[in-house]
Formats: sequence, structure tokens, C-alpha cells
Amino acid sequence: MTRLNKGTRGTRRTEIKLAEESFLTDDFLRQLINVGEVDILVGLPTHNNAKTIGSIVQTIQTDILRGFPRERTVIINADGGSRDGTPELVTEVSIDDVRPASNLNALRTLHSISTRYATSPESGVALRTILAAAELLRAKACVVLSPESANIDSEWLSKLLLPIYRDGFDLVTPTYRRHKLEGLLITNLVYPIVRALYGVRIREAYASEFGFSGRFGSQFLGQNVWNDGTDSAGIELRFTLAAITGGYRVCQSFLGDKDHIERRGADLVPALRQTAGALFSALDADFRAWSGVVGSQPVPTTGAEQKLLLESVRVNGKRLREMFSTGVAELDSVFQSILSPSTLAELQRIARLQEEEFHYPAELWVRTVYEFAAAYQKSVISRDHVIQALAPLFRGRVLAFVIENRNASADDVENNIEGLCLEFERLKPYLLQIWKSRE
Amino acid sequence: MQLNRDVLWYKDAIIYQVHVRTFHDSNGDGIGDFPGLEAKLDYLQELGISAIWLMPFFPSPLRDDGYDIADYNAVHSSYGTLDDFRKFLASAHDRGIRVIIEMVLNHTSDQHPWFQESRSSRDNSRRDWYVWSDTNTPYKEARIIFLDTEKSNWAWDPISKSYYWHRFFSHQPDLNYDNPAVREQMWKVMEFWLEMGVDGFRLDAVPYLVEREGTNCENLPETHAVLKELRQRLDEQFPGRMLLAEANQWPADLRPYFGDGDEFHMAFHFPLMPRMFMGVKLEDRKPITEILQQTPEIPPSCQWSLFLRNHDELTLEMVTDMERDYMYDTYAGNKTMRLNLGIRRRLAPLLDNDRRRIELMNGMLMSLPGTPIIYYGDEIGMGDNISLGDRNGVRTPMQWSGGWNGGFSTADPKRLYAPLIDDPVYGYPAVNVLRQTESEHLLLNWMRRIIAVRRSTAVFGRGSIEFLYPASHRILAYVRQLGNETILVVNNLSSTAQAVELDLGSYKGNILIEMSGKNIFPRVSDLPYLLTMGPYQFYWFWLRRI
Repeated sequence: MTRLNKGTRGTRRTEIKLAEESFLTDDFLRQLINVGEVDILVGLPTHNNAKTIGSIVQTIQTDILRGFPRERTVIINADGGSRDGTPELVTEVSIDDVRPASNLNALRTLHSISTRYATSPESGVALRTILAAAELLRAKACVVLSPESANIDSEWLSKLLLPIYRDGFDLVTPTYRRHKLEGLLITNLVYPIVRALYGVRIREAYASEFGFSGRFGSQFLGQNVWNDGTDSAGIELRFTLAAITGGYRVCQSFLGDKDHIERRGADLVPALRQTAGALFSALDADFRAWSGVVGSQPVPTTGAEQKLLLESVRVNGKRLREMFSTGVAELDSVFQSILSPSTLAELQRIARLQEEEFHYPAELWVRTVYEFAAAYQKSVISRDHVIQALAPLFRGRVLAFVIENRNASADDVENNIEGLCLEFERLKPYLLQIWKSRE
Repeated sequence: MQLNRDVLWYKDAIIYQVHVRTFHDSNGDGIGDFPGLEAKLDYLQELGISAIWLMPFFPSPLRDDGYDIADYNAVHSSYGTLDDFRKFLASAHDRGIRVIIEMVLNHTSDQHPWFQESRSSRDNSRRDWYVWSDTNTPYKEARIIFLDTEKSNWAWDPISKSYYWHRFFSHQPDLNYDNPAVREQMWKVMEFWLEMGVDGFRLDAVPYLVEREGTNCENLPETHAVLKELRQRLDEQFPGRMLLAEANQWPADLRPYFGDGDEFHMAFHFPLMPRMFMGVKLEDRKPITEILQQTPEIPPSCQWSLFLRNHDELTLEMVTDMERDYMYDTYAGNKTMRLNLGIRRRLAPLLDNDRRRIELMNGMLMSLPGTPIIYYGDEIGMGDNISLGDRNGVRTPMQWSGGWNGGFSTADPKRLYAPLIDDPVYGYPAVNVLRQTESEHLLLNWMRRIIAVRRSTAVFGRGSIEFLYPASHRILAYVRQLGNETILVVNNLSSTAQAVELDLGSYKGNILIEMSGKNIFPRVSDLPYLLTMGPYQFYWFWLRRI
């Protein structure tokens, strides 16, 4: 490309840049050349998944042979610096290992290629690598599966692919059978906000498994989301929102149970960065797209929209309450720059409640979240501090949700979530009001 | 030209398959004949083939295109006389062309005198020449081959009021090879033709000679014993003659037909053929390399026989259900193109008349291990006529010119044994020998050149093969080697241009010489050897250390 700069002495000189630096390695590019054009691409972002990756690749290959035997298919592993041999396992697994048992036979060569994009995992770079591969290979339909899901079912691939490949959708997000107290960031924050602001009822807008069309993938790859200074954590959420705001056809597919591989050190703040952070950041960029939306619409869904498991689990309510109360007290000065006086006063009031009478009303939670979103947009303090400050309040909301739904049936839980969503929708004008006032 | 005296001549041969009826009519009765075929031997010599395989030309009611033989020791009157055949045979030999004839061992026509005698009475001396039963229940595990027409392998004979066994059409009763008199008689039939000078037999439907209860009645040890006995007599009395097995089986099941070099000299590699079509359509070498990996070693004196198309349907018996569905969908979208478990189409229409794909397929045919067989008319890209029933659509008259009846016959067109192809694309005005002879760049001359290159070396017929596995699955590459001679073959199965890096480290220092144009390519170094290949392009290189 050619760039014209003004010389320091008033003359113009031409600076020639031969090529943009590629984030794809030459070796990866060579592997892509050898694969050539494909119909289906399966993306596998990994990091130290050696224990499970072999069986996951076999499951994928089996599903390809059963459901898409004629299609040109490739598995792309984007690895974030595994030290346990994960990439080697991806490329070494052969369908011949499962074929005798399954009586499956491949018409075509099944490609599995791997690239190490960094020495530490970063989901945004992994997705960008997969999207770039999809564009270069002109993939028609793509699926991303997370090796962190311990129970990838042999039908997941088909469930995420078919709506793209057969029915012409551009994005397929999953729904799962979860415990009623699992995924509370989704049910109390992501789902209600996406629904209320973007007007689309997508249960898992921040998904680690999803399908997308090649045309949407290419469009997103070209968007200015990779170098805009935002943390690429939560890029999957931005991906979903881009499909909504871009007018692409979105649907949901029920995948069944989802079990996570246990990881040490899972912490709330990083999770909030990936969800609330990504969401607030997107709200800023998408203001024109969501500000005029009123109400919400369901999206086509294959299978159940959501199923809840009800068995009782032990929750340390006392600790949650303490963390909430301590946070409200210690972060008072921070909250004064983020929250309205009435919201802060109300939070201080409930922080004094004992566990058995604790209640964080839906309306207060919605106001809290909206005021945080507006504060994030205005950068009243460091954006990362805004997200960190949300952590104790979210713990309070979790405690309230647990108390509210401890003995609730699946329908009751669903009704409570629905009520929360409606509250987010009802109070959307409030967000618009504070958003504009802060501008 | 003298016949090559090498007893392994079949390893270097290029065989041309033709039915005398289809090739050239010398007497204007609308049916091809031996004098007509003899008149066209110069054409075949110029094409470069070294052997002719003749389909059945014996007296027959022709209910299965001559595979229902009514007299093994004569020529069907429509095709001429025994003397005509002798004259044709001598003329072929004069041109260095060997002649392989069809021999249907498994069954006769129900009009054959042997069967007429056999059915005439349960006490007839030839009763046990065929397989009879009072019920239709024996050998239930034997599959029915002609699924579209037959419901059982047993047929009721109202004359002798019993059932007779037939693996093919019900008008083709199976001979009883448990009867020594049958074995002796069939050897005498072969002896008759061998003494006349034929160079070999293509033995039809050999897996089914013997039946045993509790088996699928295919590939039985007793059948192999019959075949070994025939081979032994052949070697003792007629050394240098050849037996070619028609056994549509998986490679592992075919292997026993070679025995220890004491059964068949050659056998068709049936499973490879559909996989070559599959590989080109999928643009993926996997089907081809996979079946060749599963192909067992055969004795040094034996040879695979390779073909792209023949007089039958493109058989899909030796593929999986999934592969068959794929082949049907991609090569026979029109269901009238399907017959039994196959596709009744010729090479050029199967490949959409795409010259590049026709060349690529022929290039693979000529360079993979085995002896290639060219089906008459495919060398000029003849089409087919699927409106004709059964497999007759691929058995239409040879197209010699754009003139009267395509130069095939002077008869009234209504009297031709079958109508000529006359559609705008494949019809005789557009596709014919005369026109193609006149243009250097048309398919016929390309075929002549590729055959000449193939015959310039024994490597293709006798050499070993080692597959290279370049990272691009669209490239099928292999090294053929015989003694000090090494040939590298690179095929681009893709419809698009490809860059390929070949690991030729074992040949470091060699230069590559392209065999067709004799042009020199860069020397092999430590680095991967980079080739760029156009759509469906292939290269044959000599690897020479100079």
C-alpha cells in the first residue's frame, strides 16, 4: 500500500509499505494452500487440551463422515501455546482409528491442520485465525467448538452446521440443558441486555460453540474490531452482536447438556471482562443500531430453547453477602462516579440486610447495570476499573437470584428470568436517557 | 512386423477392446464382420495398440450380446466364417498385434445343443452337464447378479420339470464343473482356438464355476482348482498364451486368481476403475491411493488389467453404498443411465466431454501399474445413446467418418444392427476417425502420442510403484521404477491450478525430463521440488542422473 506523509521541510515523500504484516504464519499458510477450497470448516481453539482433544477430533470426524461425507472439510486448530502436545494430537488423530468400530468410510481426505498463534491463549486471536482460514479457504459453513466443553456430543457439529449449510442461516448460537444456577452471568446480564437493547432473544449470545456462514465470517473479519484497542476477550459476543446489527440471519440450536472441564483459578473479574466488558464496549460502537430498537423478537430455534436441571446445589450465601457488603462499603468512592445517588443509596441499604432477608430487586439490578454501561461508555474512570467494580454487585445479584430460585421449579425460574428481561426492556428508555445526558 | 516372442508380452501390451459387430461392415448388411475388422487393422496399428480383445463372436441367439453361446467352435454367420477369422488373425499377427478372444466358461445359451440334450430327459448322457434341482432352494446364499431382471438363480424348465441353475440371465444355464466331462470339453474348446493361433482368452465370469451349499458360490477352492487345471494344460501345450480373468471382486478376493503364478496371467482390477472417476470428481487422490494400498502383491509373472470403460456398465459393485450413491449422483443424475449396480455410459460423456479430464484419466490408465485396455471409440471420444436398452447404448457402430453411416456400413441405415450416435455433440459428423486424423490437436492424435510414450519404456508395464504423498491431496504422484529407469508421474486431479511441493530427496541430483516433449526441468536439490500444474494436468518425467 502507498501512504503519503508530509515531509518535515514542506516536501512530500512517498513511503512504500510492501505488505501488511500477516498474523498467519508461513507454515500455516502453506498448509492452507494444500487444503484448498472447502465447504465446511471446523475451528478448534485450544490451550493445553491434550487430555480430551483426541476424542473431540474423533467425534468431529465421525460426525463429518455421517452427516457431510461428500463435503470438502477441514479442522483448523488455533492453539494458544499448549505445552502438552495438543496441536500434534489434533493432526495425528485419524479417522482410521474410529472407522473399524463405526464402519465409516471417508470419500475424501479429511484435513486437520494446526497453527500456534501465540505463546498464551487469547480467544480473539484464535477466532481471528479461524476466520482468516475460513476466508482463504472460501468455506461455506463454519463451526467453532470449544475443547473446554467436556461432553461434545457427536451431533453437535450437525446441529450447528445444518442451519447454515442447508437452511441459509448466517449464525447459529447454542442453547443447552443447564442447571438453574449455572451460567448466571448469561441469565442475569448478557441475555437480558442483548434482548432488551438489540431486540433479539438469543439465549447464549456469548457462546463457545457456534456456527457461522462464510460470508458473515468474512464480513466480521474485515470489521475494525481487531485493532480498535479493545481487549479481544469476549470477541465471541461481539461476533454475535455483529450478526444482529449486520442484519444476518440468526438462529439457535439446542445441543443438550454442557459440561465444563474443571479449571483452577476461574475468577469473576476476567469473566466480567469477557461479558460485561465486551458488551459495554459493543454498546458504545453499536449505539445507532440498538438505540431505536423497541421490544424484542424470538429467533428461530431448533429443539428446546432452554432446559433447566433442578437438583439442589450448595451455595455459600454468607460469603456472597459478605463480598457484596464489603464491596459496597469499600468501593463507595468509585460507585459515586458510576452510579446515581438513588441507586447507590439503595445498594447501601440492601448491603445491610442479613442473608435470610437479602433481596436485590430486578429493577435495582437493571438500573445498576445500565448506569455501569453508561459510565463505561463515558470512561468516567478507567474502563477496567468500572468492570472490576461491578464484581461485588454481581455477587449480590447472584445471591438474590439463588435465594429467589432456591426451591423454584423450572417454569418458575424461567418466569423469573423472563421477568428480569422484561424489566431490562422496560427500563431501556432510562439507559437512553443517562447515555445521552452523559454525552 | 513380427510378434514379440517374450512370454510376458501381456505386461507391456496395450489392449484394444472391440466387438466385431461394431467396428466395420464389409458386406453392407449393417453388421460389422471379420473382413471389416481386418480392413481396419492399419488404423489400430497406427493407434499403437499391441493386442485386440474380441468380444464373443460365436453363434448365439444374441440375447446377451453373444455371451449366450450356442456353439463354441464356429463364428456367428453375421460376422463371417472361420476362414474369415483365420485371415483376420494372420493379418493382425503380421502387424505385431495379438488377438485375445472371449471365452464364456460359466454358462452357455439355453439354445446350445448341450443344454437341449440335457433338458430333454433326466436320463440323457448330458443331463449332468448343467446344474439341476427338483427344488429352487439350494445355494440360497448366492447373490443375484442381474438384480434388474432376475428374481432367482433358479429357473423352472417345463421340459424336464425341474429347476436349473443360472448366475446370470435365466436363458444362460450354468455348466456343471463338478462333471469331469464338462471340464474336458471346455478345454477342448480352448484348444480349438489356441491351435488356430489366438494369443489368449478373456475368461468370462470365472468366480462362479462351482457351487457349494452353505457358501455364496463365489471364489470357491473348487473353482480355483478348475482354473489351475486349465492353466496347466495351457502352459504345457501352448506356452506364451495368456489367460485374463473377469472376476468383479475386491483385490483381496482377486488375489487367489493369480495363485502362485499358476492360475491367471492377468485379472481386471475392477475396484480401481470407479475410484479413478471418484478421485477426479472429488478432486482428491484418496479413493485411488486407498484402493491401491489395499491391492495385494501379485506374482512377478502376473499383471493387473486396467480400464476406464468397457462394453458393460461402469460397475459399482466394488464400492461402498456411500460411494455408489455419490457416483450415481455425480455421474448418472438421469436415472435411465443406471443399470444393475452401475452406470451405462461411455468415457467422454461421463467426463462431460472435457478434453482435459479425458486426457488425465487416460494418463492415469497408462501410468498406473497394469496393462491398459482401451474400449473401442473412446480414443476419439465417442458418445453413448441411453435411449437404447440394456448396455446397447455403449455398443453403437464405430464412427469412421462424417459420411454415410459414419463410414461404418454401406447398408440402409434402417438395417444397421444399432443406430449410429447422431447427436450434435457426439454424433458421427462431429466425432469420427477421419476428422480426427486430419487434425494434430484432436483426441485421436493425442491418444497415439500417449500410447507411443507409454510403449517407449517397459517401466509402466513392469516397474514398481511408490506413492509420494505431497501435502496437497489434489495431487496424485508416484514413482515407477524398473532396473535403472525411474519415472515420476504427477497428476493434478483438480479443476484449478495447483502448486505442489514434492519430496524428491531420494533423487537428489537427478534432472527431470518431461517424456512427451523431452524438455529438461530443473535438477532435484535438497529443497522440495516445486511444480505448478494447470487444471487436470499431468506430467510424466524421466528421472535421470546425468
